[in-house]
Amino acid sequence: MRTPTRKGMLAFSATAILSLLSLAGSAYAHHGFVSWFDMSRSITVKGTVTSFDWTNPHSYIYFDVKDDKGAVQKWSAELGAVAMLARAGWRKDTLKPGDEITLIGNPAKDAKPLMHLDKIVLANGQELATAL
Amino acid sequence: MRNFLILSAMAVAATLAPSHAAHAQEGTKPGAPPDLSGVWLVEKFQPRLFPSGGAPFTPWAEAKFKATDLQTNDPNLACLPMGVPRFMIAVPYPMEILQMPTRIVIIHEGPQVMRQVYMNRQHPKDLDPSYSGDAIGKWEGDTLVVDTIGFNDKTWLDGGGLPHSEALHVVERIRRVDHDTLVDDITVEDPMAYTKPLTNRQVYKLKAGWEIQEYVCEENNKYSYQAK
Repeated sequence: MRTPTRKGMLAFSATAILSLLSLAGSAYAHHGFVSWFDMSRSITVKGTVTSFDWTNPHSYIYFDVKDDKGAVQKWSAELGAVAMLARAGWRKDTLKPGDEITLIGNPAKDAKPLMHLDKIVLANGQELATAL
Repeated sequence: MRNFLILSAMAVAATLAPSHAAHAQEGTKPGAPPDLSGVWLVEKFQPRLFPSGGAPFTPWAEAKFKATDLQTNDPNLACLPMGVPRFMIAVPYPMEILQMPTRIVIIHEGPQVMRQVYMNRQHPKDLDPSYSGDAIGKWEGDTLVVDTIGFNDKTWLDGGGLPHSEALHVVERIRRVDHDTLVDDITVEDPMAYTKPLTNRQVYKLKAGWEIQEYVCEENNKYSYQAK
């Protein structure tokens, strides 16, 4: 398990909370996600959906994240394939623009505003995982 | 074309075989081979054959391995077929086995590649190397023994970049240890690439009620090096 850096925490301190959760599962990505994402760390990010790609080999959530000064940063989250998401309870209309969501997943190794999604909390409190 | 082949195979198998898991085993006659039909998912996703390193490379294979880069030259990034045994071990998507007396067809949702195991012939001579190779099978008691050769060298053995040559020879011993569990004991031989055979065991769980779904890898693939 790797300790998150202070620098990384400051990068999106208002809305992203780095934690030391060790992750299991979340394997339903097609491509070599372990080479792009730091699977030893988990982040929690709150944002507003701008669009949702319900596609193969990956689905994507695009969302806006505001920092504590109100500046918006464009983020995206990578999910697995449509069929496995559907088996986990997702639908193509699970998300729509404007939805306030909380995303839990793994940060990109290169510190870009991109994450590998494990779980989402919808505005109504419903949780959906990306793996069974 | 791949989708067409898969659909064709499913249509043929549906008319010839009792392909639903609900029929498995209970309907098997004494002395008849076990029914492996059903939709199966790897119990534990382990994309690397040697997660801690230590593969017994030959110098030739070690040089090839050092040139692999998971972010730039994994054939999977370009949606190319995964080959064997990667097809069987490093795919976190379900596969369906369709069983006929003379042929067993494995359809994988993720790679959308159909693997055919011929039960009534030997390997043809002068095989043209291919991604999935030529697979023949026979029953040894309750175990399906699948022998596959005739590979090209364009695939990796696993998700970690293990290379192989066209001399790759894969033997799998597949058996249904209980109604919900399938085990595949895999032996990989490639004397050009490895100084000794590699072995691996994969366990799959029956996914009753699941159906293989469409998966078009090229649809929204942001990782393809071929597109760059």
